[in-house]
Amino acid sequence: MKNILSLILAVLFLGFISSCEMDLLTEADYTDYEFSGLDANGGTWATTLIATPGTIVVAAPTDVTSAAYIAELASLKAATTRLNSQQIEAIEYWSNNPILRWNEIALELAAKYNLIPAPNPDGTYTLPSSTDPGRYPNFPFAHPAYTCRMLAYLSVAQFDGLIVAWHYKYTYNRVSPHQADNTIPAAYVESNLPSYPSDGAVIATVSQNILSAMFPLEKGYLADKAAEHLFSLKWAGLNVDSDITAGSFIGTEIGKLALARASTDGMSKAQTPKPVSDSIKTAAFDRFGWQWDNLEAPPRPVGLAPLFGRVRLWNLPNVELTRPPVPPAPGSAEFLEDVEELKDIQDNMDDEKRKIANWWSDGLGSYTPPGHWNRFAKDFIIKYKMNPLRSARTFAYMNMAIMDAGISCWDAKYYYHYPRPIQAIPGFKTILGTPNFPSYTSGHSTFSSAAAEVLAYIFPNEAATCRAWAQEAADSRIYAGIHYRFDAEAGIDQGKAVAQYTIEKAQADGAN
Amino acid sequence: MKHLIIPILSLILLCANFSPTHAQTTMDAIMMPKGDFCLALTYDHGEWDEYWEGSLLRTNGNVGTLTRTTITPMFAYGIFDRLNFFLGVPYVKTKSDGGQLTGVDGMQDISIALKAELMDKQLWKGKVYFLPVAEFSTPVSNYLSDYAPYSLGLGTNQFTLRGILQYKLDMGFYLRGSAAHIWRTETKVERDYYYNNGSYYTEWMDVPNAWNYQATAGIWLLNNALKFEGNYTVIRSTSGDDIRPWNGGQPTNKVNVDQIDGAIHYYIQQLPGLRVLAYYSTTLEGRNMGKFTNIGGGITYQFNIL
Repeated sequence: MKNILSLILAVLFLGFISSCEMDLLTEADYTDYEFSGLDANGGTWATTLIATPGTIVVAAPTDVTSAAYIAELASLKAATTRLNSQQIEAIEYWSNNPILRWNEIALELAAKYNLIPAPNPDGTYTLPSSTDPGRYPNFPFAHPAYTCRMLAYLSVAQFDGLIVAWHYKYTYNRVSPHQADNTIPAAYVESNLPSYPSDGAVIATVSQNILSAMFPLEKGYLADKAAEHLFSLKWAGLNVDSDITAGSFIGTEIGKLALARASTDGMSKAQTPKPVSDSIKTAAFDRFGWQWDNLEAPPRPVGLAPLFGRVRLWNLPNVELTRPPVPPAPGSAEFLEDVEELKDIQDNMDDEKRKIANWWSDGLGSYTPPGHWNRFAKDFIIKYKMNPLRSARTFAYMNMAIMDAGISCWDAKYYYHYPRPIQAIPGFKTILGTPNFPSYTSGHSTFSSAAAEVLAYIFPNEAATCRAWAQEAADSRIYAGIHYRFDAEAGIDQGKAVAQYTIEKAQADGAN
Repeated sequence: MKHLIIPILSLILLCANFSPTHAQTTMDAIMMPKGDFCLALTYDHGEWDEYWEGSLLRTNGNVGTLTRTTITPMFAYGIFDRLNFFLGVPYVKTKSDGGQLTGVDGMQDISIALKAELMDKQLWKGKVYFLPVAEFSTPVSNYLSDYAPYSLGLGTNQFTLRGILQYKLDMGFYLRGSAAHIWRTETKVERDYYYNNGSYYTEWMDVPNAWNYQATAGIWLLNNALKFEGNYTVIRSTSGDDIRPWNGGQPTNKVNVDQIDGAIHYYIQQLPGLRVLAYYSTTLEGRNMGKFTNIGGGITYQFNIL
């Protein structure tokens, strides 16, 4: 009997152990790849933060036959020999398209900081403070509005920095170290991209600077990341010191310009004090006869970023251009029809709807809907083997459109101040938490539709997929019980309309 | 907003999910003779209005009081005098009186277990027993483990190996200790990005393994018709993250629990084989877990067909 028992136990145990321990991905699973093109004319593409690439002056490099350059090569050769396992891992991690890694770092920090302040014991709430970021609640609260703006500044700065780098690369045409001395190993797929200034150094420096401003408590973490990235350029045999210095210089200069714009774009006033918030609510009530209220316990006195709708736009000329029409009044036939749909869905929740609601939830603690679309863009960039410049272009246009869409959506949210389903439908319960801002229009729908339109433009083969995803993201909020169908439909139209302004700019930027 | 806490303690107990005290379970030292069947039905009502976010005990007005009702039908069989088989499937229903998130209900995990008696040795005025137990459980419905604090369970396959040591005096008093390790597979959730001290790009969440210890003192009275028992139960996850401030819990969380309970079992003399039981338990300490108070009871019927 003991033998039988032992056998049964052993079989159960081994079967069980062998079925666990799967590999859980913590970053995109890709290695360096051959770029589909080098975009030699990239230095002529339209910039956003500067008038022309020549605005940032980068001196000519020393000649590859000079003693100074030969000394740099010798130093590089030494750096590429006897690499330890950590250095080899760093080379593999950063790859020849580090735009992707910095985007992942940005998304991770968004998820880390996307935590809503808890109430104080007396029922009040304290807001994060940019001047005292370490005091609870930590700064920032990386909600969707904050995150879309963070990603826009990051990608626009990366893109402008790389246009400047490409301008000088193809002005000075310094060959790669491996081409100059073939005893220097090249860790990545070889390319004919001129090496001065280093595109990797532009990316490392500008990304570090933008993200350090957006996430001040992460300065040390980001400095370590950037230092490793810059070292890896040498370990990989990609750039000599003067390439890296020139690249970092561009990154520093562009970072300053991006942060100067950010400091005056109106974001610091987006989270209003209560009297301003109340006046916005009263204005909506006077205009339309309804108002949204926060139903949390204890109630939050101010919704999320009431004046985000006034933040400076990228490509949309003014926010009124894409303000959606007045939503159906509570109690109207059209309203009641959408309410019936919500009740029906919650009463008959099925696995498919539940999964869609959760799949797109992107709520507190996550990278938010803008983060979700950045993840899709990253996957397409890898699939289509884009070089860093074209990758940055993809992120920059998409994130400008997403931020403009967010601003437009927030304008509508606080202009119409429309109540959420849990407020308008007595006893209504949901499968996701209702966010702390008005209902109309749906942020998920607007963000997603804008992102999908830009991705559809950049990746025409994926257009149908992207638009179907945006529609599913919009539907997900109805299934979750936190938006009416008219919120979602108006959001889809709004995002599409906003994105057109960015797409028109992209069509004329010289990259096509 | 999702203000959500950890889904409940996993199914570590068979006949007695979440209430470590009653019936012939995989936690006790009682064996049924060969050919005996036991049918049991237990009811458990658990509730909390405070929970531990990491190690911080707090309330949440958007949850209010959470209640969790568990009804567990169980079946046990004596394969041999010294080898018993168990099978159980709890039905769980959760809801809360605060906030607007909907509760859920459904069948949770099916458990099967084997308990063996490897030693019963006379020592002084009593006997020493040693019983190993192996248990496997797996979800029987498509419940979402990533729906704290309402989730029905952890949504994983679990394998538990337990060792039970008991010393029972002939006069009826006994002391018992048990130690178990619970291995858990990943749980599949309905999103493919989440934060667990860093980004994860996968639909799978790592659910921590855990140790479970229990110390028990009990006594049989009235010619073995009545049993009183008290337990101190501990769960210690071997890994996992903390619930972040004012954020929802998730299956990756490190769940620790210290719980005490008292139970009474009565074998109805007039109806041989029939037993009723009742218990009360409360949580003393915890981590990433509701501060549960549970009350429950059940009825078991043991019979022989041989």
